[in-house]
Parts: sequence; C-alpha cells; structure tokens
Amino acid sequence: MSIIYVLIPLAIIIVAIAIGVFFWAVRNNQFDDLERQGYSILFDDDVESKEKDKNEQKAASDKIDE
Amino acid sequence: MSIAIAEGCCFHCGLPNEEGNKYPVEINNKLHHMCCPGCQAVAQAIVENGLANYYEFRTEPAARGDSALDNTMAQLSVYDEPELQEEFVFDQGKHKQIQLTVEGITCAACGWLIEKQLAKVKGLKQISVNVSARRALVTWDESETKLSGILARLKAIGYASLPFHPDEHEASFKKEQKSYMKKLGLAGIMTMQVMMLAFGQYFDVFGNLDAQTQGYFNAVSLMLTTPVVFYSASVFYLSALKAIQARTVNMDVPVTIAIFSTYIAGLLAVNDGSGEVYFESICMFIFFLLISRFLEHRSRHKATEISSNMLKLIPATASKLVNNDWVSVLAKQLVAGEHVLVKAGESIPIDGKIVKGQSTIDESMLTGEFEPVFKAQGQQVYAGTVNQQANLEIEVTSQLKFAMMNQILRLQEVALARKPKIAKMADTFSRYFVSIVLMISALTYIYWHLQDSTDAFWITISVLVATCPCALGLATPSALTCAMAKLNKLGILLKRADALEQMTNATDIIFDKTGTLTQGKFSIQQIHMLSDKYSQDYVMQLATFIEKRSEHPIAKAFDYGFDAHDFQLEDYQITIGQGVLAKVNGNLVVVGSKRFIKSQLNNAEVCDTINANVYIAINHEIVAAFLITDTVLPETQKVISELNDYSLCILSGDEQKNVNNIATEIGINRAVGEQTPEGKLNYVQQEQAKGKSLIMLGDGINDAPVLAAADVSVAVGNASDLAKNAADVILINPKLNALVDLISMAKRTKTKIKQNIIWALSYNVIVLPFAVMGLLSPWQAALGMSLSSIIVVYNSTRLMR
Repeated sequence: MSIIYVLIPLAIIIVAIAIGVFFWAVRNNQFDDLERQGYSILFDDDVESKEKDKNEQKAASDKIDE
Repeated sequence: MSIAIAEGCCFHCGLPNEEGNKYPVEINNKLHHMCCPGCQAVAQAIVENGLANYYEFRTEPAARGDSALDNTMAQLSVYDEPELQEEFVFDQGKHKQIQLTVEGITCAACGWLIEKQLAKVKGLKQISVNVSARRALVTWDESETKLSGILARLKAIGYASLPFHPDEHEASFKKEQKSYMKKLGLAGIMTMQVMMLAFGQYFDVFGNLDAQTQGYFNAVSLMLTTPVVFYSASVFYLSALKAIQARTVNMDVPVTIAIFSTYIAGLLAVNDGSGEVYFESICMFIFFLLISRFLEHRSRHKATEISSNMLKLIPATASKLVNNDWVSVLAKQLVAGEHVLVKAGESIPIDGKIVKGQSTIDESMLTGEFEPVFKAQGQQVYAGTVNQQANLEIEVTSQLKFAMMNQILRLQEVALARKPKIAKMADTFSRYFVSIVLMISALTYIYWHLQDSTDAFWITISVLVATCPCALGLATPSALTCAMAKLNKLGILLKRADALEQMTNATDIIFDKTGTLTQGKFSIQQIHMLSDKYSQDYVMQLATFIEKRSEHPIAKAFDYGFDAHDFQLEDYQITIGQGVLAKVNGNLVVVGSKRFIKSQLNNAEVCDTINANVYIAINHEIVAAFLITDTVLPETQKVISELNDYSLCILSGDEQKNVNNIATEIGINRAVGEQTPEGKLNYVQQEQAKGKSLIMLGDGINDAPVLAAADVSVAVGNASDLAKNAADVILINPKLNALVDLISMAKRTKTKIKQNIIWALSYNVIVLPFAVMGLLSPWQAALGMSLSSIIVVYNSTRLMR
C-alpha cells in the first residue's frame, strides 16, 4: 500500500499541470467559439490536390485498362 | 454533411427561384441555379477563388446576396479615413487590428470560407472568425493593404462586415465569463480527484484501511478541496456578503454557511485525526451550483453579445463646400452655416435648409411613411433621410448631435430607462425560502443539541445542503437558455432572455403599420376602365412605359410587360410629386394625381366619383383610373387570426384614413393614425399606466422610442438598425409568422419554468423532514441535491425539441 504515498502526490502534480493548461486555454480565448472548431477537421484545405489525386487515380486505372 | 437544397430553390441561399433559371453558376462541375444576381455573383466569387468546397461543408444555406454590390463596394472607402479609424482600429506598431461584425454567418463552413478567402489578401497577417458571436478579428499591414480592401473581399463572397466597438457592458461580461469558466473547470477537476479518494473509502476498495492511511487520504482531500472552497466558491461568498450588507438574504447565504462549516469541521477532523470529513460533498456541491450560475450567466452574455452586434459604426460623410470646391468630410465635423452637396440617391448627412435645388425626399426612416415628401428651396431637411431625385445644396442648421435623428435616439434612451421592470419570480421566491431554511436549520441544531446528540452539527449541515435551492435557481435560467437556442434556430433572436417571461403576461399587441403589417411598397389594388376606345392591356402597357422613367414610388407599382417597339416617345415632362406629361406615338398622354389631371384637363369631373388616386388620360380623355396603395403582407391575415387572445391595435404615423382601411382589411378593431414618435410613445405609456402589458412590433426609426418603452418589443425583419437596437426580440425572417412561434414558445417556456419550480420545491420539501430527523448524511444530501438539479436541466432541454 505504501505505493500510494508516491502515486497520489504524482497524480496531484499531473492534475495541477492539467489545471494550468486549462487556465491558459481559457485566457487565450480557446473556448470562445465552441461551434466552429469541431468542424474544422472536416474541411479539406486544398481542392486542387484532391482533384489531382482523382486525376492520378484515373490515370492509374486507365493504365490498368490498357 | 452538406445540406440538400430543394429543386427550384436558390442553391446559394435556399430561397425559391422566382425568376426561373436565370442565374446559373457551375459549382464542382455541376450547374446550379441561383435566385438573384446577388447570389449569383457571390457563388461565382466563391467558385473562382477555389472555395467551392464551402457548398459541401455547410450545414445551413447562406444569406441572400446583395444585388447592389458595386454600389456598396464604392462606399467602403470611407473606412480608410484616418479620423474614422481612430475610433475602432487598434494600432499594434507595424500592424493594425480591428474587430468586425460579420452579417450572414450561418454555419461553421462560413468561418472556413471567410478565413480561406481573406488568407489570400496580401498584407493580411491574421484572421480568426468566431462563428457563434458572428465576429472576426483581423490584423493587417497598412502598407500592403487597406481596410476597405478587406471589407470588399468579404462583401464579394456575400458577407457584409462592419467595424464595431464592443461596449463596456460586454467587455465586463466577457471577463466574468472567463472567470466562471476557470472556477468551474477547477471545481470539476478537483471534484473528480476528491471523489476518487472518497469512493475508495466508502466502498472499501483497498480493503480495510488503517487509521494512518485514512488520515493520509483525508489530508490529500483537504489539500485538493482548499482551492475549490477559496477560489471556485468565492462567487457565492461575495454575493452573500452583498445581500447581508443590503440587509436581506439570498440563496448564497445558506450556501456559504454550509460550505464553510463543513470545510472547517473537516479541517479540524484532519488536524485531530478523528471525526468525519465530507470534502467530496463540498466539492460536488460547489461544482453543481457553479454550473447553474454559469448557465445563467451565459444566457445573459449571449443576449448582450447579440445586442452589441447591432451597434455598428456607420459613419456619415458629407461633401462640404470649401473655396468653391467640394471636399469629403465626416458629417459630425460639420458646423452650422456650412454648405453641403447631396447628390440624388444619397442620404442627407445632417439637418439643414435647402439653398439650391428641389427634390422629393424619402423620410420614411423618420416618419415610417414611404410616400416621399416634395421639398424646395428654404425648406428643412433631416439627417438620415434620402434625397431621391435631384442634387441639393444644403446649409447646415445644427450640428449632427442635435439632429432630429439623434433626438429620437435620446427619446429612446429616456423611454428605455422608464421601461417597466419585472419582478423575477424565482428571486422573490427564493428570498422567503432561504429565510425559512435558515430558521429550520437553526431549530434543528438547537433541538439535536438539547438532545445531546453528537451529530447535531452534521444533521444541520445535511438540512442546509438538502434544502439548498440549487434546482430552484436552475429552474428559470436553464429553461430560458434552451428556449433561446430553439428560437435562434427558428430565426428569432432574443436580446433579453427574460422578455420571454414577460411576453406571457402581455394583454395587448400593438403593430406598426408600414413595413410591419404591410409591404411598405405600392401596388395596384383596383383598375377602373373609363373608356372603350382602348383595351386594358394597351392602357397598362402605356402606363408602364411612361412610369418606368419616373423615380416616384407610386410609379414602381406599374410593372406590366410592354414591347418597346410599339411606343415612340417624343416629349416627356415630369412635374415632381404630381405626374407625367408625355407624347407617345403622337398622342398626348397624361398620368398623375387627381390634382394634376384636373390642372391639365378641363373635363375632369369624372375623377370625383371614383375611388382612385392615379389617372391616365389620352388626348384629353380620361381612359382609366387606378387605386394604388400599400398592400398587406400575405401572411398578415393568418397571423392576426391566430392572435385573437390579445387585444390588437395599429399605431401608425400614416393618415387615419389609410390606417383605418388596413385595420378593417385585416380585422383589427383599434387603429390610431397620425402619430409622431412622441405621440406613439405617449400612447404606449398611457396604456401601460392603465395596467396593461404590451407587446409592440415595429420596424422604423420612428418606432425606436416606442419599442424601447413597450414591455416586450419585437423588431420585424428588415427593420432599421435603430429599431433593432431598441427591441428585445428581433425576427430575422421578414415573415410575421415568427410572432406566432415566439408567443407559443414563450408559453411553453413559462410552463416549463413552473414545472421546474414545482419539482425543485417538492424535492426540497420532501427531503427536509428526513434531513431534520437526522436520517440523511451530508453526502446523501449533496447527491440528492445534484440529482434534483440534473432532472431540472433535463426537463428544460426538452424545450429544444
């Protein structure tokens, strides 16, 4: 059981760090807009490269057809 | 995740394509049709900038594009003036920073679109869009790009943006919001830790703990609880202290007593190594209470955010005469005696007298009536009104701050200060409740102490915690927050959440006429043919052909199709405000008012027998008469019929006769016409003095004071900014139907609040005897209190469905 004398203080340090990070995030307006950020991962940044991929795929499949 | 746009509707904004497939745009290799040139231009710009993916990402249709795009673009250059920028641009050395309110943001994809579009502007350093607040923070390098350039880029993809100033009120709200978030976060994280340790002890996870380990656990819990008690819960102590200073009690008084006594008892127990500790209960208690406060605060914060988005800075500029040359200056710098040029189509920047020229002036923003007024040399014109026909030279009579428009603004401020206050149901209630709770707790303590029970202290704490009116405190804010969110989705913006509560007490609904009940533009109601020589078709074509050249709003009512080849125009004369004289195919044609026709023709007695206001004569013979009036909006009738629980009234600046006509048409009994803004305000205040509670609907600047005074005020779609500013509720859709939704939602919300209060109270009343009898330990009390709060919140979220 004596391990808890080490683990609990360790856990408290981690919690303290987590709280520090949370406070930093609040101070830096990270929670200002909760609607948008959830979507940002879904938006592709580059239309061109997507089309390029398609073209390459098409070229590849054309080759196979040949 | 993209949305589906119905067939025959605009692919950009989702409104029906009334003109057919006239405005196509190719998006992602597929042809789509738009409803208007505005939407077409916006969609085209989006595609050309390689941002077509917006249409894949979006979850809501966009706002409708602006057809007069070029016109607004030209006006943007005003924002580059240094005097103007002083007010709202933050200089950061090399870069400049500005906050913009962006209109037309409908979903997260808009944020993406704006950031992508602006990232291409050279010299733009940083852009971040806040979708929920509909704002953007932009930093740019003045040497590489101009502010007007940035605004123009935004406009091109359909977002109108304007610089704005967050008001002090909002800034302090924002600060509080952040502090609440920190407190809540801290309390949440700590509650988890303390609860973990407590569970270990309660359920003997570690087997039987020896006294030393127990002591260690308690000490750790104490350490974790301390920041929660002193930092997170500080809001309660401050509020309790304020209440006591004001010699009253509020919910926070028993809360403070409970928290402190439990904490101190725990502290002593840890110190002595014996006795019970309830740190996890303190943490949970604080955490749940904070959630309710945070929710309440956020619903109010949202409301101020919306209202300060309305406070846009639209600077008025004027061209002033300096040494025989016209120089562009800000209107607020003008002083009496200076001469100003106002071109046709521009709005008049300042109050003054006409010294040169004559024109018709649209004063609808001041009077609410769209029929323009004819003004000539020597007559007074007012800031904010629009010069329609000819260039005018104006001599300034008073500074901008004394302008008519600003007087109305002041009238509005005065009215707002006198607005009836509502007694918050839950507030008065909880005061009595708290007094009773404190008394019962004291009695409980005395009783158990006399019984020599060692548990007297803990029983008292249980009473305080179990009866904590936390769920009672959540009852109203949680219901209002949910109702606001739901209404937002329906296109109804609430600026003041408690307006919903007040709305259910309303007895009367008062409507403004023009723009609210009616379209605010003329159309032909009746056609009387007075001669057999010409077909109706021919007469309509001829009238349209002639009236197309006139700028008068009545002329716009004629929109009959015609073939231009059929008519040869030889001579054309407009008499401003009266009518038109023209020679078409060799025939003399006169179109105009009764007075005009009479002055042009000798045999015009026939006019007196017909109910009409516009006549057309060909070769000195009157061939047709038209009744042209403002038309009632199509949905008005239906909405009025659904509001028969209220006593309805029309309050208008228009002539009594016109108001009566509309009133009979849609079935409203009371109609009061010919009212100035002050007159409207007096009327409403008289009604309020009789003990009535009023809902007022309006749209014009002249309605702003009366909107501010009414118990609940609603600005209908397309309302002027001033009216929106004064109103509690803004209907974003130009449809009146939203009023019915709003009222039914208000009723549902009221029921929900009542349910919540009844539940919260009955829980407290039921649990009280158990606590008093000592059957409840503090942790059970805290758990019960939390569950009761969760039920209240869940009940409120059902409003969102």
